[in-house]
Parts: sequence; C-alpha cells; structure tokens
Amino acid sequence: MNLPFFPPDLFEADREAMLALVHEVGTTPDQKFILGERTARLEAALAEMTGAKHVVACGSGTGGLELSVRALGLGPGDEVIVPAFCCQPVASAVANVGATPVFADIDPWTLVMDPIETEKLISPRTRALLPAHVFSIMADMPAFRDIAARHSLALIEDAAVAQGAVLGDRPAGRWGDLGVFSFFQVKAFGTAGEGGMVLTDDDELARACRMIRNHGQDGVHRFLHHRLGLNSRFDEVLAAFQLYRLPGFAERLERRAKIADYYTERFAALAERGVKAPPPGRDGRCYYVYSLLVERREEMRAWLTEKGIGSHVYYPVPLPRQQAFGEYAAPGQDWPNAVRAGLQNVAIPIWPHLTDANVEYIADTVCAFTQ
Amino acid sequence: MKPPTATPAGVPFFTQAASFDAWWPEITTHLDDVFDRGKFSHGRKVEQLERAIAEYTGARFAVAVNNGTDALTLLLRAAGVGPDDEVVVPAFSFVASASSVALAKARPAFADIDPVTYGIDPASADAAVTPRTKAIMPVHLFTQLCDMAGVLKVAARHELSVLEDSAEAIGMRWDGKHAGLLGDGGVLSFFPTKTLGAIGDAGMVITDDPGIAERAGTLRHHGRIGRTIDHIAGISNLSGASGTNSKMDDIQAAVLLAKLPHLDNDIATRARLAAAYDERLKDVPGVLRTPTVVQRPVPTDPVHYVYLIEVERRDDLVAHLTARGIGTEVYYPIPLHTQPVFADLGYRPGQFPHAEAACRQAVGLPFYADLPADAVDRVSEAIREFYTGSAA
Repeated sequence: MNLPFFPPDLFEADREAMLALVHEVGTTPDQKFILGERTARLEAALAEMTGAKHVVACGSGTGGLELSVRALGLGPGDEVIVPAFCCQPVASAVANVGATPVFADIDPWTLVMDPIETEKLISPRTRALLPAHVFSIMADMPAFRDIAARHSLALIEDAAVAQGAVLGDRPAGRWGDLGVFSFFQVKAFGTAGEGGMVLTDDDELARACRMIRNHGQDGVHRFLHHRLGLNSRFDEVLAAFQLYRLPGFAERLERRAKIADYYTERFAALAERGVKAPPPGRDGRCYYVYSLLVERREEMRAWLTEKGIGSHVYYPVPLPRQQAFGEYAAPGQDWPNAVRAGLQNVAIPIWPHLTDANVEYIADTVCAFTQ
Repeated sequence: MKPPTATPAGVPFFTQAASFDAWWPEITTHLDDVFDRGKFSHGRKVEQLERAIAEYTGARFAVAVNNGTDALTLLLRAAGVGPDDEVVVPAFSFVASASSVALAKARPAFADIDPVTYGIDPASADAAVTPRTKAIMPVHLFTQLCDMAGVLKVAARHELSVLEDSAEAIGMRWDGKHAGLLGDGGVLSFFPTKTLGAIGDAGMVITDDPGIAERAGTLRHHGRIGRTIDHIAGISNLSGASGTNSKMDDIQAAVLLAKLPHLDNDIATRARLAAAYDERLKDVPGVLRTPTVVQRPVPTDPVHYVYLIEVERRDDLVAHLTARGIGTEVYYPIPLHTQPVFADLGYRPGQFPHAEAACRQAVGLPFYADLPADAVDRVSEAIREFYTGSAA
C-alpha cells in the first residue's frame, strides 16, 4: 500500500482537457493572457456562488492577503491581530507593509484563533483582525464580527483553506470586510498553479484591490499609476482550468466531507488513548486537511509510514517563535495552545480520489496504533 | 478597437499564436512532464528552467519567481535595501522600476535618461546620489544596455550596489556578459510580450552572488528555510524572514523551456525586422527617431525587443494607426517622477527633460518574431501616409 499525503495524479482525469485549454489560450485571437475575459468570467462565477458583491482574482492566497492589507491602508504603527498557529502569510502580509502582527493563541481543539485571547490583545493601535480558518474548521466568525464591530476594527477573513464551507447560512469568505481564497493546488478548489481571490461587498475596497493587484492602475488608463501597487494577477490559462473544474467542485468537496465523517466516527473512541479527532459535523467545515492531535505523534507517524500511509505536520513552531517574526513577540508572551498544536498535530490523507478501501485502510491503521 | 484581423491591412501590436501553435509538440512534451510529476508551481519544471536560464545567461544563480516586479522587489530586499535607503532609478521606465523600491520600503530617487538609448544617464544618476543612497538601478529598455561603464563608475565612486532592471534585456550582453550580471544582480521578466515570453506572468532573479541568490530564493517562498522547490512538504518549513508567495507556475516554465531553444533565432528575426522598419521609416517626415544602437568602448549585443520610434503628433498618429487596425503601445506616456503614486516625493515636471520628451513622442510599433515582412510594409506605409497625406 502506498498512500502519499499530498495527492498524486491530482488532475490526471482532466489532463487532456487541460492541455487543450493551454493550447486554446496560447493561440487565442486576442493574445491576452492575464486578467482577461476568462478571469472575469471566473470572478463572476465565484461572486454568484458566494453571494459576494465583488470578487477580485489575484496571484495567490498570499497575494489576496497582501491586497487586503494594502487596500485597508495599513502601515507603520498599525497593529493587526493574527493567529499564532497558522501559515506565514497572515503575519508576512502585515509585516511587509511595515505594520505589526500581534499573535493570538488558539483554541486547543479546533486550533483556530481564540476570540477571548484576541480581545485581550486589542490596543489603541489595533486596526484589524485577521482570523484564519485552519485545516477543516472555520474560525468563530460571529465572535470576530462582534469584536470588530465593538472596537471599530476591520476584519479580514483568511478563508484560504475553507472555500466551500458554510457557517450557519453564510459562506466562508463572506464574514469579514474582505475574505481571501487560495487556489494552491492541494486546496479544496486548487488549480494547476498559483492563484487566489479577494471577496468583498465594499465598493471602495474592491476598487482598491483591483488597482493594487495591477500596479495601481485603474483598468482604463494604461501606465497611469494612482497608488502603490503589486503585480498579483490571475493568468487566463488558470481561469480556463477553474471554469472547467468548477462544476465538479461540490462533488469533490462532498467526497472529502464523507471521508472526514467516516474518520471522525471511527476515531471517536480513540480520544482516551491519546488520539483526538476534530469535532464531528458539517457546519462551518471544509475538509482541506484532516488533522489529528496525537500525544505520541512521532511514533504514530513512524507507524503510518511503515504501513505505507503518508502524513504531514503543519506549523510545527508557532509563528512568533520563528526567526522571521520573533521581533513581534512581546517579552513574556506565550502561546501554549499553539505550541502544543505544533507538537501534536498530524494530518492524514483526505484527497477526494481515495477509494473507500483506501479510507478504511487508513482508519484501520490509525485505530491499530492505539491498540 | 476592432479585432486586428477584421481588416486585411490590420496588424496586431503583439501575437505569438503562430509560434505557439508551431511549437505545440515541444510544449506538450514539457506539459506532460508537469502533469506526470504533479507539482504545478515551484516544481521540477521550474527548477529545470532555472538551470536552462542560468546556462543561457551565464549566471551562477537563477531564482524563478512569479513575475518581473516580484523579481525586482525580492532582488532589492535580498541585496539589503530597506527602510531609510534610497535607490536611484530612471524617470523613464515601467513603474515597477520604482514601485519595487517602495515595496522594499525604500525610496526611489529619480534621474534622467540618455535620449538615444533611453537608459539612465550616469551624470544625472550621480547628481541624485545622497548619503542615504544604497543602490543604483539601471534599466535596460527596448534595444540595448545602458551606459554600464558610466553606471559602474558612479556606483564605485559612491560605494553603491548596482541592481539591474534587466526585465526586458534577455540576450543583451556587454562585453560578453549578460544583462543583469554586470553589477550585483538583475532580473528577467517573461511577461508574454517579452522576447522570451510565457503565456502568463513569470519572472526570475539572476545573480552571481550566492548570498543574494539564497535570500531571494528564500523570500519567494514565505521566507522558508531549507529545500522548497520540487518539495511540497517544504510548505511547513520554518521562516527565517518575512517573505511572500512568488512561486512560478510549472505550466509557464514548460512553455518557456519549449521556447528557449528558439530564442536566438527569434532574436535574429527581430534584428531583420528592425532593419526593415529602419529602411522604410528613415526618410518619413515626422519620424524624429528610430532605434539607434550606440557604439560602446566594448562589444555589445543589442536585442530588438520593442521597436520604438519618436514622432511628431504622436497621439494623432496612434489614432490614425488604430483606425487602420494597427496596434501600438505608448511606452511610456507619463514619466515616473510625475506619476500620482510618487507625488509625495516632491518632484516637478521639467526636472528630467529627456524622460519627459520621450513620454511625449515615443510609440512602440507592432514587433515580434511572428510579424510577417509585409506587415512592416503596411505599418510603415500607414505612418508615411499620416505624415505626407499619401503613400510612397
């Protein structure tokens, strides 16, 4: 048995169709390859799917966060509260404009930024909150909306991993002033390259994001640069892929959720034996990554490897403990839950083209570890 | 504008469709590799392109990134440019030459250009140096390198880094040395219209400096330490510096690898097309300047990337050509020092007369390796017609 953690043959079933799209785009009569008609159609499709008033395609999920931070006009002297247990862009997008990321600890089980810890960190310099959804679980967005409203803060929702999740009746990406999706290949709606999107209902923020993604231009007057911008654009060939793969998205997401349901049911009894599954359920969930908290993690990983099952450890060290962001860690500040999550998390395969037999084998193997 | 193909006389500003179609078998071979490998950004094909470009340019290090602007920003950061630093850049260029400096949190200081080469004028650059100046960024535009002897002299006198915006300069060499490698480092852009163009955004940092290469290579992938290219598990490596996501797509690398073996041939084709334009435009009244390769004290290799002319009544000419289905591009209509984005730097119109004249008079004509010879005739005739009221 060989079941790698990162899905192999990701687009194998679609290879011929995707190669045909590369040829179509390469020979397209208008020879427009970036931010063209296909990108506009993808933006419209995602707007319709999510209900967002504006959808701005950009170079990556990180690019989406960078556009958001710049669109809000954040800079030196401003603080943004971000999770301590997360991918680096939540901190780098803030630090790269000269603003200060302030790190909040996480919930010990759901692993998303803790609203109570967040509120304690608010200072007169705080300008925005940047909660992120992690693995399969959306952050407590109602709580963050409430905090943001009470303190007059902007809210950026990092929904990079959660496209397709719905909390209550509101989709991921639609909870903040700005929401961000990522299309990195292993994400739920991943693509064959780099891409991302910003969602917003705010006309001004949308306008700002559109300008910033393309060198501060307004889309009408070429080579007139109104404000400091980036190059964070979307390629037509990837827009063509995403339009092609969009109809199958719901089905792939459902397959992931079914696998997760099965895992969680099988692992429910393992909690007393040092293997904790994520909470069951479908509300506010999107199974990009299925991660366990395991006391004897390294032994578990060795066991899985021996049985031909790939696994992956995310965020082994909290962001403020990494060299890149150490300067932003307040003296004496600690993130015990983020530290523990770094030591205990281990993710197991959940890609949609796993067979039922694969899934049963993985579940059996995890259960056998605790025997 | 109507689609250029709608009228028989129409000539698009840019197309590579015919080459793309002709080279499709080679492109498919590289794309199949990408699908077989299953990593679609920052993967094996990207690494292969880095090696191929290093070989083509002679660079010790080639660091693939998402686009030319990112390449400049990461080059500046990797070279240690940061807050409180100033970087001297020309007032006539694409905005990225200056916005990259601002994105690296430093301040651009503008200098005028040479009116013939459109490259930075070393004397004007020298005058822009202050105690805060950390680097000078020559930008090689359209056809040839800047006066690099002059630039290097200014840099040496003030102990400045030389970071080249060689985004347009693939194939250009100074005394055998490729653009981007004459100072501390340079960049390449593979924007689709470039001499070597992808079908989307892609770029690269090239340098002989191992420290710059390592830092740029780290910053492009979230500052993550250790192997990340062609190694997806590297997504959880720890960060040593606050970086960004500037990964190149493997699909773009595949297209570029398929095109690269044809590059020198394309460059030769471009030289022939440029000579054809030169011949047809040389005595057209109203055409003030056609591209002129300047003799340097050492041998140089120009590359005709953009065929840029300076003309009287430029905007009227553009309208005339547009009405005939002929595409043009005005490189660049507004000098950088008067762009709204840099308004707070305190520059005024009139400070850089050569840059400002170029902005008033310059226009790029249809120019690419797939351009049919008779299209050069049609474009040239349309220009003659505009200025003389009749065809030759």
